[in-house]
Amino acid sequence: MENDLPDNASGSTPTDHSVPYAPAVPAHGGPANQASPDAGASPLPVAPEALPVAPEAATESAFAPRTNFARLTAQTDAIRQEIGKIIVGQTDLLELLLTALLADGHVLLEGVPGVAKTLMAKLLARTLAVPFSRIQFTPDLMPSDVLGTSVFRQNKADFEFRPGPVFASVVLIDEINRAPAKTQSALFEVMEERTVTQDGTTYPMAEPFLVLATQNPVEQEGTYRLPEAQLDRFLFKLHVGYPSLAEEIRILNGHHAGLGSTNLDTVQPILSAPDLHSLRQQVRQQRVEANVLEYIAKLVGQTRAHKSLYLGASPRASLALLNGAKALAALRGRDFVTPEDVQFLAPSVLRHRIMLTPEREMEGGTPDEVVKQIMQTIEVPR
Amino acid sequence: MVLVLALGWAGPALAAPPGAHLLPPDQGLAPRLRRPDATRLQELRNQREFQYEEPRAQPGQSAWEVYKEKVWRAILRWLSSRSYNHFWRWVFYALFLVAGVFVVLKLMQINLTAVFSRTPRRVALAYDTASENIHEVDFATRLAEAEAAGNLRLAVRLGYLRLLKALSDGGLIQWQPDKTNHAYLAELPPSGLREEFREITRQFEFVWYGEIALSGKLYERVRADHQAFHGQVAGRVRRAA
Repeated sequence: MENDLPDNASGSTPTDHSVPYAPAVPAHGGPANQASPDAGASPLPVAPEALPVAPEAATESAFAPRTNFARLTAQTDAIRQEIGKIIVGQTDLLELLLTALLADGHVLLEGVPGVAKTLMAKLLARTLAVPFSRIQFTPDLMPSDVLGTSVFRQNKADFEFRPGPVFASVVLIDEINRAPAKTQSALFEVMEERTVTQDGTTYPMAEPFLVLATQNPVEQEGTYRLPEAQLDRFLFKLHVGYPSLAEEIRILNGHHAGLGSTNLDTVQPILSAPDLHSLRQQVRQQRVEANVLEYIAKLVGQTRAHKSLYLGASPRASLALLNGAKALAALRGRDFVTPEDVQFLAPSVLRHRIMLTPEREMEGGTPDEVVKQIMQTIEVPR
Repeated sequence: MVLVLALGWAGPALAAPPGAHLLPPDQGLAPRLRRPDATRLQELRNQREFQYEEPRAQPGQSAWEVYKEKVWRAILRWLSSRSYNHFWRWVFYALFLVAGVFVVLKLMQINLTAVFSRTPRRVALAYDTASENIHEVDFATRLAEAEAAGNLRLAVRLGYLRLLKALSDGGLIQWQPDKTNHAYLAELPPSGLREEFREITRQFEFVWYGEIALSGKLYERVRADHQAFHGQVAGRVRRAA
C-alpha cells in the first residue's frame, strides 16, 4: 500500500507510533491501566489523583487513556487475525480500513489488477456479521440496477419498490470506474445521506452502511473518471501496492500448500452491527485539542491556496481528517488525537479530493507530493 | 552591308554612291521573336540538373573548407532567392519579434500562459502559517512565568520544547517545525536516551494533546524527568565534544 508519509515520519511505522502507549493498552482486553472500570461504555474522565493507588502507580495511571479501549483493541485485533488467515502483509492497508470502519466512512481502493483489492474488501465484509452485497460495475449498468426500481403489481394496481443491491450494510462495488458517470452519480445520495429516494419516497439505509469500492487506475482501458462529487464522499482513497518479495514468497507458499484454493469460509465474523455502533460511539468521544483542530483546518485550507492545485479540498475533507484521526488514535490505544495521526491520514484523505493544475500534471506531479509539500509548510502544533 | 542597309533605311536624304546596286526594301513581315514561357523557364532554372556552375575547390583547400564554402554559397543563394524575399524574410522577422517579447516577459516575470490555461483558484488564507522558532524562545523566563501562574500544562509544553532545543543544539535531531514528536524519536539512536525521550514524549502528549488534569505533584515528577533528561543530553554532548 502506498500511504506516503512525510520524510520526517520515515522510519516510524504505525506500529511504532503505538509503542509509547503499549503498556497502557492491553493487547487482548483486560483492565490494565484503565482509569475507570466501567469506562468502556461511557468513558468519563477521572482525575488520576482521586484513585486510591500508590504514588508510583498514580503517575503511571495518570498517563494512560481515560477510555477503556480493551474491547475495541480485542475486536480489531481479532479482525486482523481473521483477515491475516488469507491476506499476506498489507498491514497498513488493513489499519486504514479498520480506521474507516470505525470512522463510519466509505473507502475507495485503487490498484492495478491482481493485488487483492477485492479480496481484502470481501474479507473485511466477512468479518462483519451484517448484510453484504456485491455489485460488479459494468459500462451498461443503470442507476436502477444499483438503487432498485418500482415494479407495477397488476393484482393491486400499484407500484412496489424492489430494493437494489445497495440496500445492504456492506456494499462492495467492484471496478467502480467501469460504469459511466450516470450510474456512479446514483450513489451520491446513498453515500452521503444514507437514504435512497425513489418516486418521491425516501428509504433510509440500515446502520452500519459502508461502501467499499475498488477501481483500477484511470490509465487502464475501458474506465471512466469518477465525478469529483462522488470522490469527495469517500473517506479514504487507498492505494493498494505490490507485495514485497518476502510477502510474495509467503503468498506462493500459502497457495502451494492449499493446492491453489482460497477458503474464505475460514474467516469468521467478529463484529455485529450493535458492536460496531458501540465502538463508533466510543470513537466519537475522542478528545481533540484545539491546536490539533486548527492544524487540520490549516492543512486542508492550504490545499485551497497551493499554486499546484486547481481545486482544493472541501470542509468535508476536514471532517474526514478529524473523524479518521479520532478512529486511528483509538486503534492505537489513545483517547486523544495527535498531529501524528493527522499526518498519517492526510494523504489518504486528501489525494482524491484535490485536483492538480494541468501544468503540474504535465510535469508528472502527484497529489501525494502536493499533500506532502503542504504538510512541510505547516508547523506541527506542540 | 549593314551600314548600307541602314543608310538605305535612312531615307532618300542620303545619296547612294555612284555605281552602287541598290536592293529593294524588304517587303516581308517582321520576324516574330519567340520567347519561352517565363514560369517554365524559372522552373527549369531552379532544377538542379540545369545548374551547371559548380563551385570549384581551390587548390590546397581541405574537404571541410570545401564543404563550408558549399554551405555558405547555398545560404547566399537562398537568401537572394525569390521565396526568401517574399516569404521567409517575414517569417524570420516574426520569429525574432516573438523571441524578443518572450525574453522581455521572462525578465519581467509575467506568465501569459495562464491566460490560456485553467488557473488555480487561490483563496487568501485567513491565518499565518509562520512557525515558532524554539531557538529564539527564552525558556527559563517563560517556564518560570508559567509555573508562577500555575499554568502547569503550558509549563510541560515549554519544558518539552526546551528538551527538543537541547537535542537539536546537540545535533541529535534535525529541528524542523513540520516534524512530529515521533519523527524526532526515530532520529535518536537506539539507546537509553531514546527510551527516556519516548516516555517524556508520552507524558507530553497526554498532557498537551490529551489534556489530562495535571496536579502539582504530577508536574513535579514530569519536571524532574525533564531535568534529568536535559542533564543526560548535555553530558552526551560534552562527551561527544
